[in-house]
Amino acid sequence: MQYQNALKAKTAHGLASTSHSPALESRAFSRRRFLRATLQAGAILALPQIVPGAVLGKNGAVAPSERIVLGAIGIGNRGSYVLGCFLEEPDVQFVAIADVKAGRRKAVKDRADAKYGNQDCQTYRDLRELLARQDIDAVLIATGPNWHGLASMLSANAGKDVYCEKPCTKNIVESLALAQTFRRTGRVFQAGTQRRSLPNFAFAVDLAQRGKLGRLHTLHAHPGGLDPKTSGWAEPQTVPDKDDVDWDLYLGPAAYRPFNKGFLDGFNFEKGGGLTGGGCLEWGSHCVDLCQWANSADHTAPVEYEPKGKELHAVYANGVRLVLRNDGWIGLGSCPVRFEGDKGWIETGDDGEIAASSPALLTGKGAKVSGYPANFHVRDFLDCVKTRAHTRADADAACWAHIACHAANISLFLNRQVKYDPVKNEFIGDEAANRLRSEALREPWRI
Amino acid sequence: MTIRNFFTTALLAAALTAPVLNLQSAPAATNLTEESRRKEAEMLAVLRSDKPLGEKAIACKMLAVFGSRDAVPDLAALLTNEQLSSWARIGLEAIPGAEADRALRQALGQVNGRLLVGVINSIGVRRDVGAISDLIERLHAADDEVAAAAAVALGRIGGERAAQALTRNLTQGTPSRMPGLAEGCIRCAEGFLADKQAAPAARLYETVRLAAVPKQKQLEATRGVILARGDAGIPLLMEQLKSADLELLAIGLRTARELPGRKATEALAGGLRAFAPERQPRVLLALADRNDAAALPTIVEAARTGSEELRLVAINVLERQGDVSVIPTLLETAGDQNTKLAQAAQASLVRLPGERVEADLLNRLQSAQGKTREVLIRVAGQRQMGAAIPLMVSATEAEEAGVRGAAVQAVGLIGGVAQLEPLVQRMQKTTVAAERDDLETALIAISGRTGAASVPALLPLVHNGQESVRVAALHALAAAGGPEALKVINATAVAEGDDALRDEAVRTLATWPNTWPEDGAIVEPLLALARGGAKTSHQVLALRGYLQYVQGNRNLGQPNKIAAVREVLPLIKRPDEKRLVISVVDSLADPAVVDLLVEFGGDAAVKEDACAALVKLCGRKNSGLDAAVRRKGLEAAAEKTGNEDLRKRARSQAAEI
Repeated sequence: MQYQNALKAKTAHGLASTSHSPALESRAFSRRRFLRATLQAGAILALPQIVPGAVLGKNGAVAPSERIVLGAIGIGNRGSYVLGCFLEEPDVQFVAIADVKAGRRKAVKDRADAKYGNQDCQTYRDLRELLARQDIDAVLIATGPNWHGLASMLSANAGKDVYCEKPCTKNIVESLALAQTFRRTGRVFQAGTQRRSLPNFAFAVDLAQRGKLGRLHTLHAHPGGLDPKTSGWAEPQTVPDKDDVDWDLYLGPAAYRPFNKGFLDGFNFEKGGGLTGGGCLEWGSHCVDLCQWANSADHTAPVEYEPKGKELHAVYANGVRLVLRNDGWIGLGSCPVRFEGDKGWIETGDDGEIAASSPALLTGKGAKVSGYPANFHVRDFLDCVKTRAHTRADADAACWAHIACHAANISLFLNRQVKYDPVKNEFIGDEAANRLRSEALREPWRI
Repeated sequence: MTIRNFFTTALLAAALTAPVLNLQSAPAATNLTEESRRKEAEMLAVLRSDKPLGEKAIACKMLAVFGSRDAVPDLAALLTNEQLSSWARIGLEAIPGAEADRALRQALGQVNGRLLVGVINSIGVRRDVGAISDLIERLHAADDEVAAAAAVALGRIGGERAAQALTRNLTQGTPSRMPGLAEGCIRCAEGFLADKQAAPAARLYETVRLAAVPKQKQLEATRGVILARGDAGIPLLMEQLKSADLELLAIGLRTARELPGRKATEALAGGLRAFAPERQPRVLLALADRNDAAALPTIVEAARTGSEELRLVAINVLERQGDVSVIPTLLETAGDQNTKLAQAAQASLVRLPGERVEADLLNRLQSAQGKTREVLIRVAGQRQMGAAIPLMVSATEAEEAGVRGAAVQAVGLIGGVAQLEPLVQRMQKTTVAAERDDLETALIAISGRTGAASVPALLPLVHNGQESVRVAALHALAAAGGPEALKVINATAVAEGDDALRDEAVRTLATWPNTWPEDGAIVEPLLALARGGAKTSHQVLALRGYLQYVQGNRNLGQPNKIAAVREVLPLIKRPDEKRLVISVVDSLADPAVVDLLVEFGGDAAVKEDACAALVKLCGRKNSGLDAAVRRKGLEAAAEKTGNEDLRKRARSQAAEI
């Protein structure tokens, strides 16, 4: 415990610089130096290396042939941030926005035009018009979760590489379809699970995968709430002009309901299919995904799920347990995960700090990055667009992490244990659970 | 782009070439419970009532989980309802059995336009073989959307009859029909592959590849042909990788990762150097992602010769793909004049997996000289090879400065109490400032890890003749922590004599690192220095260290924190310390804290900090402070602050109480 507190200790370095003590400046000793010396003596290279940018043709000036022409679909708060990450990259040329809301279309166009000093950014109400453009290589999708999966698949079918915010799918079948579509089309997919590209999470996963924690036995994820949220039908209101808000396109694959502006909060609308979604999908798509990664389980999902009090417990075929819980964390910021093996444990979260059962485990943990920026993840995506390699959060990894979350939600919805066969992709002897694997899309949409 | 975990990649590769997943398993016989029956009856009652559409919609959705064939007629009746059709299909798609299939088929003749597209889509999802004739008929529908839906549904259902119909239309169709027909053919081909019928799958893919279909469909078909042909698809794969068309190259690079088999690996490895130099790194990445041991010699060779880019990619790949056999190559490169290559090679040596690798590295370290010895020591340290510690320790006395530096760092990284003595001896001997710094860092690192047990070994340094060594001793002792270390440092802080050393001792106490902030033993020395330190700077540093201790210690409850702050209030004169006090107390909901902040609000130097803290503390409805205290704090903040926004906030929050 003392060690975790030391990790969180605020450095006293600045406090020593008083006007009364100039002589004390020269050989400053501080908690920061202590930690650095204790944890990082030597130039440690604990994380996997990355392919140098030179290989990918991004050495300074970017040749037109190496430029990635980008469009965006559905840009609200989160999307605006991620789009900013793309715009910072020198090899990105942003050219078009599709959004069902006029205000958002204009805001993105204004931003892009201001950056490039022209009026070239094109706006579209209907994403299909944007996808029909042959000059666009890749799209950023940051609609509400209702559209994430379908828009990703439409984009791939139109020949675009895709960076898509999470949660990426509404149900198990859509998760499988996402993975299959990106295989079929040969397109690059990156789920917006940017923690896969952050050093503290990658470090923790690396320790787990390399056996430094011993034999893994329990993985802990913070789902940020385990309550299902249902999107239903609300009192009809006057439908806005189609150019202001295209309600029919906003509904997209979701079953019909009359316009009600309360539904325009795309963040929650129809999340997880609108019946069993909610916190588990919102945060689980991050933290369950990290547990999947730590367990080298990007190609499978737990086989048993059971609500236990305020927690949801799942078990992988290799015996490793996955515990979804909201309480009992050390306090390392949002979206914490904890990996436990028979020789040690490690826990980290969004403040970038890492706590471990032993200081030796933290050797080489590298620089702290807090605030879960998406820049590294965006860069990984862009590099893979060029090499055609699999991204850190490719469609298969996203598929299985989401299946784990959906199966957990189904267990919560049914309030009982369910058993899942990740080979046949069906719940074992459980028709009610199996029927929750998919949901018909509103016409004319299909996956 | 990271070189991925090859274990994962191997499994993925298997998945990528596995038969297509059946997204909708054949419906099982209904085995719903009595509870489901009861819920079904409730939902059907809703559908048969005059309840609002919203309730009927949700009833449809619930019937997807709890409905049986008894629910089918009621759901089917809604398929013509523009508002409820999509809800009805949620139920019908999920309910197993022929009744739902028949209902959807019958609806084909009852709806048009988008509703018809929806019904066809649901038939496709259910893979209703009985609907094939109806769907073939609709390939000729006037509505392009309907025809495309029918083509895709046929593709999902699959089989020879569907394939023939799709192929026939593909070769005779109009451009507007091509995307749907191509997608139908490709899905149909996937079905053949899933049934292990590679030949018809390959034929179907090839038909699409050669047809006038959109480019993306041509790419998908190209991939499909290669995968369906297996080894016989290798020439077509190589053709894509050499293509001037970047889209074909792109699909080739993806497919190169998927196509299974040793022959494909050999073709890619053997043909690597025949590609244009700028293309070689990307092909090498694809080759590596196959995780086939047969590629290793090619990767090793690429690490040794070729363009810098190719070599870097190869070296990076080796950290995952390599084994003990690649150590000589990496060691040689780690000594390269090209620092990029050298650093990459060292990093790969650090991460190269396997116990045999460590045994080999250890063996080489025993006889290594010069640069190789330095590299091996660094690698052994970073790999945390405990067995190499004796060799590292002996290297701290090596002639070459580079080897000595690497050895000191490595010992600091993984050494224990037993390694303190040689480092202390070296510290006493060296006259080189840089080496002394390295040694100090190593001593701090080991002491921090091993705690009070390291103190005896460090004590000789306390009495060393050089001031810099004595300072290093203070730092290492502080890192060790514990009562004995504290006693030594405190004695130095209050001793007469070396002024600079005493300053450093005070500073070290004020930033006491080990077991901070739980180590309550630091309180008394700090308080004593704060009250009676020999210099003002000592008093200030001690006071700040004390306040930091109070702020950071989670074990101190709120009353104890307030009491601890009160104890030093008479000593606090300067604005900086007052600000620190404010930051310590601004989350402590206590009337005494409000009083203190109000008092600080009268000090022009810190009034804004105090007012902001008052608004933060008293503005919270659930702070635990009673209303009168909150109002008092907010009104005081509103009165004293010069910040108009803060004043407005304070008044607004006071008004809400």
